Amino acid sequence: MTTIPPAESPVREVQLSALVVMRLIKHATGVFPQPATGCLVGMDVGTQLQITNSFPFPASNPDNTTGNPNSSNPADPYHQADQLALALAAPRAKSSVSYQNEMIKYLREVNVDAQGVGWYVSCSMGNFVNASFVENQAFYQRATGEQTVALVFDVGRSSQGSLNLKAYRLSPSFMAAHKEGKFTTESIQKSSLRYQDILIELPVAIHNSHLLTSYLHQLPTSPTADTDLALPASLSELRRNPHLASNPLAPNLDNLDLSIDPFLEKTVDQLLDSIEAHQTEQNNAQYYQRSLAREQVKIQAWQLKRKQENALRVQQKQTPLPEDEWQKLFKLPVEPSRLEAMLVGRQVEQYARQIDGFGAVVSGKMFGVRGNLLPGEAS
Amino acid sequence: MGDSQNYLHLARPLAPAPIASSQSSVTAPVSVTLQPQALFSIIDHASRRPADQERVIGTLLGTRSEDGTEVSVTNCYAVSHTETAEQVEMDMDYQKRMLDLHLRAAPKEVLVGWYATSSELNTFSALIQNFYSQQGEGTFPHPAVHLTVSTVAGQDVEANTYISAPIGVTAERAADSCLFIPVPHEIKYDEASKSGLELIAGARDREDRSQLLQTDLETLERAIEQVLEMLERVSNYVSDVFDEEQPPSTALGQFLLNTLSLAPKVNAEDIERDFNHHIQDVLLVSYLANTIRTQIDLSNRLATAAITMGGDTNVAGSGGDQQKQQGGGERGVERGGQRREGGGGQQQRSGQAGPGGRRGEQ
Repeated sequence: MTTIPPAESPVREVQLSALVVMRLIKHATGVFPQPATGCLVGMDVGTQLQITNSFPFPASNPDNTTGNPNSSNPADPYHQADQLALALAAPRAKSSVSYQNEMIKYLREVNVDAQGVGWYVSCSMGNFVNASFVENQAFYQRATGEQTVALVFDVGRSSQGSLNLKAYRLSPSFMAAHKEGKFTTESIQKSSLRYQDILIELPVAIHNSHLLTSYLHQLPTSPTADTDLALPASLSELRRNPHLASNPLAPNLDNLDLSIDPFLEKTVDQLLDSIEAHQTEQNNAQYYQRSLAREQVKIQAWQLKRKQENALRVQQKQTPLPEDEWQKLFKLPVEPSRLEAMLVGRQVEQYARQIDGFGAVVSGKMFGVRGNLLPGEAS
Repeated sequence: MGDSQNYLHLARPLAPAPIASSQSSVTAPVSVTLQPQALFSIIDHASRRPADQERVIGTLLGTRSEDGTEVSVTNCYAVSHTETAEQVEMDMDYQKRMLDLHLRAAPKEVLVGWYATSSELNTFSALIQNFYSQQGEGTFPHPAVHLTVSTVAGQDVEANTYISAPIGVTAERAADSCLFIPVPHEIKYDEASKSGLELIAGARDREDRSQLLQTDLETLERAIEQVLEMLERVSNYVSDVFDEEQPPSTALGQFLLNTLSLAPKVNAEDIERDFNHHIQDVLLVSYLANTIRTQIDLSNRLATAAITMGGDTNVAGSGGDQQKQQGGGERGVERGGQRREGGGGQQQRSGQAGPGGRRGEQ
């Protein structure tokens, strides 16, 4: 109870360099649907955490060493679950820590901001809130410092058109609870920790260097009003002209896509999984309550018996037996940790927000389409 | 990305056999694909170079097609080196260990060449090029790709790619000279990078060179504004043609007509019906998700709430238990509701909610 709550970090926002964004996208899409994890380096300047470089963690893959062809069968669900756990645990694995230290040492030689400031993980449709994530971040916040963040890149949602990249940190109150390692009903009541308080989201901004800005300006952009293009002579010329066909930094119109069903379906599916996990947790809690009640009934019966016995002994002028012997005789069941239940709650909240977001976007688009196809009614 | 220059490829005769032993034997044309993250990394490295150094170099990693004629540069890392008028020194040990580290994380990305941040090609370039294309640690038998990215302030950033051919009259001369042959390159990005690039490009016109990440709705708003602007431009052009202020173009007219004919012809009632169905589906899913969230929140709160019923702690504990069971029951009812409505409201989701509901009942 004498633990001092960890000092709150002054970092209020996260700034990413374009390089980190591109590296993250490449790594995450390269290993999809496996989660990609890696390390972020940069430095913290006042209230800003500047992330300027990143590198992936090597995939720890013990299957290769056993050489068993059956074990590397990707269709095997157990194998996949194993892989998933391995990939998620990578940031706090010993090999990754040494890899990270070595890499940072080398990066320092070439003037990269050599300070580990966090880690990144990729997910699909917001399914990142789990025990592994929390453990990793707690590990980082304890080992590297309170300012470290976890960047979560959502591959699934980013394919919809807009980049989905979020920065999270564990709240000081959660860190305090995590340090104690106790998530019982009693301790949660005392610290009044709610699942909404586990993670703190930080705003993320992208920052380009001067050199990159000048490079981006030099790339072909959308034609300005004063450029005078020669009119094409035929349709095929219009298609062939490379200056018209590809415009790399043109607005990405993917997010005007109307199809939302696959995304909704996936999210609802994951939501159902979460409910199931919640159900399991609830069953555990109920089981605990029942066995606790049973034990308590037994203890009460024993105490009553001992009292009567003692009353009898007092009458017979004998020394009474100790009444607290039940503590040795009966063992109270251990209360299951409520951490998992809280995480499920947080995860469900994440999904619900996500679906809200989908709903908002898609209804806007739908009304647009309707107004377009039924012009009479729109006016 | 628009860097489509024309190259003429001539297969060069191989250099005399004794010299060729330490050299790349392939002089076939190579085409190079650059990925933006490699380019960004080079630019980042260039801006972090020591103040007294003209250029910095690094190693290119990537993949190579089977016959070795196509190289895709996907990653790179900086290598420290010092260069004076007389000599060049490169940290070979560093290069080797860094390569090992990268190979551990991404075994598929192999050494393909090196980059320098100035477009100058000099004797030292030849030396380094020969180091990278040597046998053993180098890219032999494939040619090493040399990428130069000029980063002179006030001038355009210019990227060039080369492979080399051995040249020199004696073996000693050949070791520090080579002929750089320009090869075509293009900058390619994949679908997934598009959204990232768009955002990065968004920061380009801003004074502070930074851009906050946007929510889906903001992105949508911007996309719609852009579409409206484009439509405006097209309709201005068309009306100008009508007013005979702009020269007409049959090709453009045809193109616009083709585009317009893509608009589906559906009758109003169908649209109305489909529209209502879809919007209801979406709203229903959203509503149910929020209901589930509330239920789980409630259940969590009840489980940890300090419920005092005037009795001792024992009573309070069992009270909490009962409350929680009620919460669970309530949720079961909700889920049942979801299944019914889901089945009635939409076909594609009923299959989804069905198993979920059953799972809940077990």
